[in-house]
Amino acid sequence: MRILLAEDDFVTRKFMANFLSKYGECDVTVDGMEAVDAFMMAMEDGEPYDLVCLDIMMPVMDGYQALMGIRNLEKERGIPDDKAAKVIMATALNDEKNVKMAFDLGCTIYSGKPINQERFEQALKKLGLA
Amino acid sequence: MAEEFNTEGMLDMYLFENTQLLEQLQEIVLDQRDADCFDDDSINEIFRTMHTIKGSSGIMMFDEITEVSHKLEDVFYYLRESKPENVPHIELVEHVLTVSDFIMGEMEKLSNGEDADGKAGHIVEELDKFLKSIKGNDKEEPVRASENAAPQQFYIAPMATSSSHFFRIYLTYAPDTVMANVHAYKVVFSLKDIAEDLLHYPEDIISDESSGDEILENGFKILLQTQATKEDLQNLIKESYELKKVEIFECTSKEFMAGFDSFGSEILIDLESSVEEIEKRAQENEKEDNVSLEDGGLFIAPDSIPEIKEKKTIAPGDFVIESKGVGKSKKLAKDKNKKIEKTSYISVDIKKMDQLMDLIGELVIAESVVLQNQDLKVPGLKLDNFNKAASQMTKIATDLQDVIMSMRMVPLTNTFQKMNRIVFDCSRKLGKDIEFEMIGDTTEVDKNIIEHISDPLMHLVRNAVDHGIETMEERAQKGKTEKGRITLSAKTESGKVWIGVQDNGAGLNREKILAKARKHELLDPTRLDSSYPDKEVFQLITLPGFSTNDKVTELSGRGVGMDVVVSNIQSVGGTLEIESTPGQGSLMLLKIPLTLAIIDGIVMQVAKTTFVIETGVVKEFINVKRESVVRKPNGEEFVMIRGEGYPMIRLSDLYHIEGGKQEISDGMIVLIEVDGKSVCVFVDYLIGKQEIVVKPIPDYIKRVQGLSGCTQMGDGSIALILDASGLIEK
Amino acid sequence: MSENEEVQKQKYVTFMSGNEYFGLKIECVNEIIVMQEITAIPETEEYIKGLINLRGKIIPVIDVRLRFKQEPFKYNDRTCIIVINVDSTTVGLIVEKIAEVVEISEDNLLPSPTLNHSDKAQQDRYVYAIGKVGNSVKLLLDPEKLLHDDMKVLEQVNAEEDEEE
Repeated sequence: MRILLAEDDFVTRKFMANFLSKYGECDVTVDGMEAVDAFMMAMEDGEPYDLVCLDIMMPVMDGYQALMGIRNLEKERGIPDDKAAKVIMATALNDEKNVKMAFDLGCTIYSGKPINQERFEQALKKLGLA
Repeated sequence: MAEEFNTEGMLDMYLFENTQLLEQLQEIVLDQRDADCFDDDSINEIFRTMHTIKGSSGIMMFDEITEVSHKLEDVFYYLRESKPENVPHIELVEHVLTVSDFIMGEMEKLSNGEDADGKAGHIVEELDKFLKSIKGNDKEEPVRASENAAPQQFYIAPMATSSSHFFRIYLTYAPDTVMANVHAYKVVFSLKDIAEDLLHYPEDIISDESSGDEILENGFKILLQTQATKEDLQNLIKESYELKKVEIFECTSKEFMAGFDSFGSEILIDLESSVEEIEKRAQENEKEDNVSLEDGGLFIAPDSIPEIKEKKTIAPGDFVIESKGVGKSKKLAKDKNKKIEKTSYISVDIKKMDQLMDLIGELVIAESVVLQNQDLKVPGLKLDNFNKAASQMTKIATDLQDVIMSMRMVPLTNTFQKMNRIVFDCSRKLGKDIEFEMIGDTTEVDKNIIEHISDPLMHLVRNAVDHGIETMEERAQKGKTEKGRITLSAKTESGKVWIGVQDNGAGLNREKILAKARKHELLDPTRLDSSYPDKEVFQLITLPGFSTNDKVTELSGRGVGMDVVVSNIQSVGGTLEIESTPGQGSLMLLKIPLTLAIIDGIVMQVAKTTFVIETGVVKEFINVKRESVVRKPNGEEFVMIRGEGYPMIRLSDLYHIEGGKQEISDGMIVLIEVDGKSVCVFVDYLIGKQEIVVKPIPDYIKRVQGLSGCTQMGDGSIALILDASGLIEK
Repeated sequence: MSENEEVQKQKYVTFMSGNEYFGLKIECVNEIIVMQEITAIPETEEYIKGLINLRGKIIPVIDVRLRFKQEPFKYNDRTCIIVINVDSTTVGLIVEKIAEVVEISEDNLLPSPTLNHSDKAQQDRYVYAIGKVGNSVKLLLDPEKLLHDDMKVLEQVNAEEDEEE
């Protein structure tokens, strides 16, 4: 499985990358813009990411924008929903409004931080990713 | 007070809603415990409850709850569709209660911050057995929803952080320290590995060199949330030549939330950083602007975060961090959120609001009783001081009214947003490409009403996605080039809120509805299909258990919905109108009374009866000459005003009031307009404009068309409130 | 009320309407007020005279004579309104004259004799019993029937109208 991580904070990034690499090859970006670029490149190379993990508060482009960008790219290329990448928003913004917005924009898993690893794993299993 | 971290918005919502549902469920079950079987309504209700709990538990990933509610839903689905006889009722009651107790128990654990770790395996088995036993030899299995269709979106609550400690740390540096900010950064860096959350002041210690002076002068302050203990921290932050003093205080989460304010009032945080402002916006729950989910914002440059204070709702792009120095830690919105909520919002029982509203109504009346008191009309009284005091009182009373009204009025934005989510979810699940459009979502509606229309609206929207819009293939076959589109609109129209759910899908299938209705024996067998007008046919779908969809889908195919929709709408005195054109789509139009308790009204007199009409619908008052009135041979009259003819209603004739003026030139014409239709109302004379408190006409009196309520005037007499749209229809 | 239970007696508010005396259980009577100014409601039954303002509460009033399909009478200063409350519906009854509050024990109650035909039975359905007080007789009214009975009819009417809309 190919995983893309976007996280601007070094410590969290290190932790997440370490955590996610249990499940597959994990590429790391530091902001939303880079993440969308990476996602596009991977698509063009015919090796799209299966799982994208986005922080929400990031420089240049935030997690929501990145999520929209990714969903748009998929839409443009006519990728059916079941083939679309699973997107995880991992964030400390944990109020209902943010959760709703994320889901509206097509996020698959919304995970509060600090990440509950057990649950996270469970969700990945449900999605058939772990 | 570490548990503050555990009260999550999402979990709270989940617990609150489901607790309510389960309480209702138990009430139903216990109510009918001694009956022979559940009645149809209860079966529907229990089924729906389980359906809802299944859905929300799925998103929250409480698997056991999802599983067990799904099973019970199946049982009630079978009961509802196949109506089996000889169901052992007591056994069924026990099953329902077992399930309900199990879920309650799990939710109790959740609300105590524990895991929902109960196992429901045995309950599921029992339910399976039970279902098998009541099915018996029944070969005709109703269509089942896809087995355990897992929701495609999950919410994971953050780790319970109850074991976190909170610290306030003061660092004092030697006065001659060079670049104190860099020293401070070193400390921050060393804490990063153990920090769950970290704030420090001054904030910018990397790019802002003057922060060094600030640190020397006032010290460096850190707020830290961590699993580590005080000893750990003391080991991490060692005093040195530069670092003169390290003070570490454990504090409560509350103090932590309070941010640096708790360090003492002399320190103020400047609110420059964009994150801060974003947080502020995120807290603004009320009066949101339309959230634009357009893709236009995709490449917003980081510095294009404009006038944030104006825009109050979150949108993609709000969370871009403007500039982030290496050592500058992110401040987490949740912390600030809670801090504000704590001081700004309390939740109030809506009943108390109603009571307050009633009291203010009484106050307004009492006020007019005082100000128009007969005793004041003695000639020669000096009332200057009285009048001054009176006008002050009037102003306060008016302000009071405005406040209470605004407390009750809530924009539909949140409700509409929820629908957006539903369209998104459902269309994804169904593989449909659907655009969602909102019109007039800032329309404000009384809180009471919002609560009643949220569920019906959700069902209508789901239905539109599921049944209304065709699949992509079907659309392609039909040659429909445009995208599937669902439009949710709201507007206020003559005291009612009109909420429309419109789709450009297939439209309702008249034949199918009729066929199903025949099958369920809902139609008069002696009437031909063709004798049913469309309107009547479409209304059939609002009967319980009515679903014409061929295949049952997880979303709405079991016919949960239209009956609930209608009963919910009716409970607030609204109506549902259905329009549909085959191949072009359907429109579900809700008309809900906007029961504004206090309205601005024009007071008019006809003989001895006083009438009031809402100021908003009145276009003008006209004195017309007799020649302007034309009487048609059938007795209808119309008035020519500026070359246009308007139908005229004489209130005295309409309501058989004796002694009203007959001569047009003696009275007054009030031109009212609703929904583009105008009518002239002829009254004896106008009394004036006044705020009036709307009271319903007692139920005991049957509804009179054209009257929407009554009110008490300043002198204690009663006036009748005219309903403009009712008059026009009349 | 507690003493009533002991002696199995019931207090009734009696009033005159036409030539007869009627009685209403005292529990359902909220108060008795003098005639008020009535705001007529158009298009209602004849016996519903309209609305009155009872200290800020707006309640409907009905004319008992008209309710019994008897000849109307002219309101004068003896005319009273008995405000009754049945199943949380508050209604005022316009009566010609209040008589008194009497106590009738259960053994003085007789079932209402009915001829059971024509209009009379119609009018009679409001009377559930006859109470003897000395030499006189009070017709005891069932307040629920007085109001409710036609509320059901009204509900039907309303429901039909709703459907038509």
